[in-house]
Amino acid sequence: MADIGASAAAVVAPVPASMPKRPGMLRRLVREPVAAIALAIVVLLVLVALLAPWLAPTGPFDNDLSVALSVPGTEGLMLGADGQGRNMITRLLYGLRATLMMGVASVLLGGVVGALVGFAAAFYRRIDGLLMRLMDMLLSFPAILFGLAIAAILGPGISTIILALSVATVPLMARIVRGSAMVVMRQDYIEAARATGMSDARLILRHLAPNCLSPLFVFATLRFGQVILLGSALSFLGLGAQAPMAELGAMASEGRDFLFFAPHIAVIPCLLIFTIVLAFNLLGDALRDALDPRLRV
Amino acid sequence: MKKTLGAAMLALTAAALPASGAFAQAAPRDTLVALRSIDADNYDPHRSTARSNGEVMYMMADTLVSLDWDMKTVRPGLAESWSVSEDGKTYTFRLRRDVTFCNGKKMTAADVAYSINRWVDPATRSPVRWRAGNVKEVRAVDDYTVEYELNEPFGELLYQLTLFFASIIDKENVEALGANFGVQGFNGTGPYCWESWTPRQQLTLRRHPTYTWGPPIYQNPSPQVERVIWRVIPESNTRLAALQSGQGDVTQYIPHIAVAQLQRLPTVQVTTQPNYLWDYFFGFKVDKPVVSDPAIRRAANMAVNREAVTKAAFFTAAQPMNGYINPAALGYSAEASGLLPGHDPEAARKLLEEAGWRAGSDGIRVKDGLRASFTLYGIQDQVNRQIAEAIQADLRRVGIEMKIQLWDATVAWGKLATQEFDSFIMSYPYVSATDGLALYFDGANRPTPNRMNWNDDATNAALRQARGGLTQEERNTAIGQVQRIVTEANTWIPVAHENLYLAASQRVQGARAHGIYGVALYKGLDIRLTR
Repeated sequence: MADIGASAAAVVAPVPASMPKRPGMLRRLVREPVAAIALAIVVLLVLVALLAPWLAPTGPFDNDLSVALSVPGTEGLMLGADGQGRNMITRLLYGLRATLMMGVASVLLGGVVGALVGFAAAFYRRIDGLLMRLMDMLLSFPAILFGLAIAAILGPGISTIILALSVATVPLMARIVRGSAMVVMRQDYIEAARATGMSDARLILRHLAPNCLSPLFVFATLRFGQVILLGSALSFLGLGAQAPMAELGAMASEGRDFLFFAPHIAVIPCLLIFTIVLAFNLLGDALRDALDPRLRV
Repeated sequence: MKKTLGAAMLALTAAALPASGAFAQAAPRDTLVALRSIDADNYDPHRSTARSNGEVMYMMADTLVSLDWDMKTVRPGLAESWSVSEDGKTYTFRLRRDVTFCNGKKMTAADVAYSINRWVDPATRSPVRWRAGNVKEVRAVDDYTVEYELNEPFGELLYQLTLFFASIIDKENVEALGANFGVQGFNGTGPYCWESWTPRQQLTLRRHPTYTWGPPIYQNPSPQVERVIWRVIPESNTRLAALQSGQGDVTQYIPHIAVAQLQRLPTVQVTTQPNYLWDYFFGFKVDKPVVSDPAIRRAANMAVNREAVTKAAFFTAAQPMNGYINPAALGYSAEASGLLPGHDPEAARKLLEEAGWRAGSDGIRVKDGLRASFTLYGIQDQVNRQIAEAIQADLRRVGIEMKIQLWDATVAWGKLATQEFDSFIMSYPYVSATDGLALYFDGANRPTPNRMNWNDDATNAALRQARGGLTQEERNTAIGQVQRIVTEANTWIPVAHENLYLAASQRVQGARAHGIYGVALYKGLDIRLTR
């Protein structure tokens, strides 16, 4: 039986608890120029998204139909205006905020639930088979299909997308966590802790979980990029953010109608999505390299 | 800059397209290729109300009477003359004697009686049976005289009979094909005959060789093109590119943003129909919280800048509505239109304050704990989204929140039949003021198409009079009254009268936009191909 489902876990072996992993990790990470740039972009994007209300030149919903479809470079509109005459800079800032929030929420929610399932499966071997078959079932559904089904039941909205992406993240995370937790479970210190009469919950929280964190982080970072891409696709299909809320995928979808006449409305949000996904993927790769003890020199 | 870029992009796609396989062949000789965005599910005049059915039906079949370019004058069709009894209940049509079906069979009064009776037969389940009036009996008096008897007068009847639902069909053909009537074949008396249909791709028609009975609105009563191909190209930019590169000849499905550019291109001729009756409006469910308050509805009407909204959604391709009905339509009341509040956000705010709606902490007004917030349903498309978002922004400026929920066309009609929304956006074709308003404001038409839940005795009585009045004047007075009532109650926010454009390639001559039921080519006569 293949214990380890996803690729990230196959590469990243869990770090034994005895080894100090904090010092030097960040330095190892930024030693690679590509990783340093990726990290800088991620930090910048997050900062910009957090500060959107202060950075945006106009309110998120302020429109002026008389400047609709203005091209980038128009006076007062550096990146132009969209079909409703809203400043593209404002829309992008708030769109970035919504998109990143969607990604964070999905990865957090799906990741936490998935990790709990993974720990439970590794710790309580009796329910392992049942849990993993459930995860297999979830794995067999494409995320887009989930999104469509959930939107049909709950109606479209950003929470619909978060739910769909979380559900799609759970089985992947569960498999990775279970794989690394099973390795840690065989370590002597777990036996020792158990011998002291520690409760299951404490054992998982204090000894098992901390030692499975690194593959989990790597996966979460890589998954973040995928989630942004999937979420944008669902938004593009009209299942996500509803007007007048800005969201990058939805902005691309709006701009599609004007592709020949005002290409900037669709192209700029797409470029931003591209940047986010690329930055997170590079960062994920770098994290994996930095955290892998076998690559340590 | 913007315009040059658009034109350049259009030209670029046109240049790139011929290489792309599917449409590689240029339009064949003596064949008119009409491009459209969507196919119909069948070509039975009684089983589909889609415009895409009408486009083909008007070419394959004829109606007793036809409609002139002014959208007001009824002209002869299969009937060369008609008379109406004094009580307005019996219409007698005298038919042309030279009409034959595509298979050569002579068309007689029995065919007319069969067609109308099939239309109104409850077993046919035509969604637009009401358009035929309250029919008592339609009978063939002799081979070329038809008596159309109603239970009550219906002043709109002749207009309704110009619509493709009243097409004359062949009983033997219907019975022979059964459920496949209009799917595997169709035997009509129209200028073009059914040749073949590949659903969602193309439908081919061939010239009806003996056809000489076209409506008098055309210069030449016979078709002059050997074949007509109705080809479906769903993507609008691809469709335009196909037109420019000569792979298609005519289309009325032009993205609004492209109209102005297309009009400037020397290789494309664009005609328009000033009397086109297809309107976009925004309706309130008058019995739902928040929007049941007349002050909210009136303030909303004053908050919305129709002109700016129309320009944002349609560019140059529509006119803002200044009343509930197009001034070109029969029965339009200028007096009622004068009651529609103009754009005045300041007055809207004042009205809301006076009505007790006070601004809340988030800028949205509140009255007795109720937030001035309501939902909008509509069909998901670019125009609806543009209109809805622009109106949403205008309403927010006076402290009213509108939540937009647009649905995919496959589920939208079901959603729009429920009571779960407070307002909706809709567009529709009509032939006269009475036709349009009776559809939406008759209390008996709740919950759909009367999605406003408007049920008012005075309106219902005036509508009855507008439909049943014996003189045009009487009918006009009554429908004017309806327009006054619904305008004063602010049941809608009228948005825009869409324009109709017909774009044709260089080799096409004589193409002119008509627009009956939204169909630009109508009978497809007077069209010639130069190469």
